Amino acid sequence: MVTYVLRRLLVAVPMLLGAMSIVFFAMRVLPGDPCVAMMGDQATSEALADCTKNLGLHRPLVVQYADYMWRSVQLDFGKSLRQGYPVSEYIARMFPHTFILVMAAAVVAALVGIPVGIVSALKRRNPLIDYPLRIFALLGLSMPVFWLGILLLIFFSLRLNLFPLIGGGDLDGVIAMIRSGEMFKYPGDFAIAILDVLHHLTLPALALGFTLAATVSRLSRSAMLEVISQDYIRTARAKGQIERAVVYKHALRNMMVPLLTIIGLFVAIALTGTVLTETVFTRPGLGKMLVDAISARDYPLAQGAITVFTMIIITVNLMVDMLYAAVDPRITYK
Amino acid sequence: MSRSISSRLSAALVAGLTLIVALAVAAPDSADAQRKKVLNIAAKEPDTLDPHASTLGQSQAIARFMFRGLTRFAIKDGKVTTAEVEPDLAESWTLSPDGTLWTFKLKKGVQFHKGHGEMTAEDVKFSFERQLQKTPGMRYGVNLDVIKSIEVIDPHTVQIMLKAFDPIFLLRMVGYQQGYIVSKKAATNHEQFKWQPIGTGPFYFERHAPREKIVLKVFDKFVGGRPQIDEVQWFDVPEDATKLIGLEKGTFDLLYPEVVTADVADQVKRMGYVIDRRGPGSQERFYLDITHKPFDDVRVRKAFMHAIDRKAIKETMYPGGLARLATSCVSPGYFGHIQMNFPEHDPEKAKKLLAEAGYPNGFTVKNYTISKSFFYPKVLTLAQEQLRKVGINVEMQVVEHATYHDNIRKNLNPFVLYGGTRITDADPWLSLFFDSKEIPDPATGNKGTNFAHYKAIDDLLHAGRVERDQKKRAAIYAEAQKRIERDLVCLPISDVPSQWPRNQKRVSAPFDPEYGEYSLHYSYNYPELLKIIN
Repeated sequence: MVTYVLRRLLVAVPMLLGAMSIVFFAMRVLPGDPCVAMMGDQATSEALADCTKNLGLHRPLVVQYADYMWRSVQLDFGKSLRQGYPVSEYIARMFPHTFILVMAAAVVAALVGIPVGIVSALKRRNPLIDYPLRIFALLGLSMPVFWLGILLLIFFSLRLNLFPLIGGGDLDGVIAMIRSGEMFKYPGDFAIAILDVLHHLTLPALALGFTLAATVSRLSRSAMLEVISQDYIRTARAKGQIERAVVYKHALRNMMVPLLTIIGLFVAIALTGTVLTETVFTRPGLGKMLVDAISARDYPLAQGAITVFTMIIITVNLMVDMLYAAVDPRITYK
Repeated sequence: MSRSISSRLSAALVAGLTLIVALAVAAPDSADAQRKKVLNIAAKEPDTLDPHASTLGQSQAIARFMFRGLTRFAIKDGKVTTAEVEPDLAESWTLSPDGTLWTFKLKKGVQFHKGHGEMTAEDVKFSFERQLQKTPGMRYGVNLDVIKSIEVIDPHTVQIMLKAFDPIFLLRMVGYQQGYIVSKKAATNHEQFKWQPIGTGPFYFERHAPREKIVLKVFDKFVGGRPQIDEVQWFDVPEDATKLIGLEKGTFDLLYPEVVTADVADQVKRMGYVIDRRGPGSQERFYLDITHKPFDDVRVRKAFMHAIDRKAIKETMYPGGLARLATSCVSPGYFGHIQMNFPEHDPEKAKKLLAEAGYPNGFTVKNYTISKSFFYPKVLTLAQEQLRKVGINVEMQVVEHATYHDNIRKNLNPFVLYGGTRITDADPWLSLFFDSKEIPDPATGNKGTNFAHYKAIDDLLHAGRVERDQKKRAAIYAEAQKRIERDLVCLPISDVPSQWPRNQKRVSAPFDPEYGEYSLHYSYNYPELLKIIN
């Protein structure tokens, strides 16, 4: 197992370097100049030339690439062309916001999507249950997250005044309290800070989670349908096991493998979903940052963010592969 | 069994809903925010807080809260003017008889934020020299190129020697873009200064939570007296829809929208709030490239102008008071502006002219690129339809804004749609868009903005720059506009003001919302005069 993990980690290194190279060249192939994007209609030819030189963009592409890769392997992604912040620092600050959003959305999607998928599969012959659930899935699939987000904001934030309109809460404060150990010293304050973060997180997580729940429910439904058509399920029923035991003991455990695959995919889908969710709910985060960086041709920031996204996806896929072995004893890694 | 699954599902849903309601009830707004007079602004995040280092509207808008210049746009008859100035950080000034040496006497006791001490002539010298020396990141050095040298006479006197007489020098010294005075002590480290700005304005920088907000605090020692507002919270809100919900909910008091459409204006009106309109704002206009076939033929250019229904475009884009139909290629409010005449909308005349020019069946403009952002795609789609009716088919491709800027500097489009604001005088405006030095040329790397490739007013621009009599200057620029009118190289569509929706039940502004501030700033000229009234 350890050998397998190490081998996978080693394979991940060239994958990551490959992804970084693709991103580097893709950003350069993209038409548009960072200086023109920054200076807009105020740009004079002289100012543009100065800007290009100051940002080091006048150097040959190969030199820029070598410089970027050399710095990146030392985890130095450079500085944002636009705002001047070190990219690593910037990403470190944004990452927790995106991380908790993806996690919360995953919880919502799993809590809603998996049961809905299972019930929909088990009750597929009962149109009174199956149809509404399929309509729910269809709605979730067709509703863009920004539209649902605005609806939630209008209803829960504007009309009912139950949730804040913008922001991510004092997550920096929470992290600082955890790091400094103040969470044990001031548990009351810590609880309030956590509550504040959750208060800000609820609507975005519901919006993103609900749209993802639809995908999860459809995939869970197919997984369950496949499992319950297996011989061992028929055998379990034939030997007189009660339905609950058939579902929980036999079917659910066996659908975990395809379900884990879904979760692996889900992280990639959720990461892309954060772009719109963070924009509509005006939350800080990697998604919004990445889109702004690409629009502004802020090369270091966009490259840094995509590298982090790639790392997340590689890590999640690795974890999913590990979990296959945990849920299915037939799978072993050597 | 099925009852069991359903009941577990229901229990999970009830638990989830209970948690949501608990969260909603458990986190009330902080009482602290209610005690203080806090102004909440929804805008986009600036790229820097160094006022000399950004051309973005939001960066320039927030700069006015923190920085001041030697002069400012004068208030006359209860309105902020465009082309007239009055002392701000300077107490007075004199100009040598040959028109090249300005001596500024500075106000005494003007303090920089956060204990950075009194503003002196050294700070003034530093503020301009950092831009002239092309310190990395500086954006407005070109506006100060007229300066030859700067000398500190004493802590409160500074002399600025010009290379030649500059008729708009006092406008250049306005607290706007290049004119802001920064603390030498703080800004010597340029990189650090980006997010640790120190100025003399009514508010000082407190903190920045990236992608979230910037907090400014009132500066008790502000030279104009302590503002009534204690704190300004500048939120990064990219979506206009969210901004509007926030205005209605009371989360925001002022909005800096991406664009004010009729829908936005209607919603603001329905809420019972006002929109503060500041001119001259940005002008949207077409430049016709006289070197690009078939637009090298004046008849084709005239046909183009006859084909375009300017009023229809303006009314579709900005109905009613959301913008004004442009009357000149130099906007009203700019020194030297005169009303120009443009070919009226007449498709028949357009077709006739095209036939005369050898295009009886019109022609096709291939691979025309347009920015996907701001007003560009909408205006061009409207123009495309109008041009199609006279036989000019434009095959449009929508591209990223940065790509568009790149393409138009490579002369790929035979006519260019463009928008912008400049120092409120005809000289910089005409120089940037009609001086032959600014003709973009990929071969030489010139990325100028004379998209018409026009060369016919170089003599007038030169004459205007050395003329000291304002009346004669006005006549020179009038002649320049007449030549542009004659040669049909520029077709202005709309003059779009800077527009900020405001909850006037909570925040009062000192000037009439309808163009009470007729000057350059992207935000309020005098933010220190804003007051929280509720």
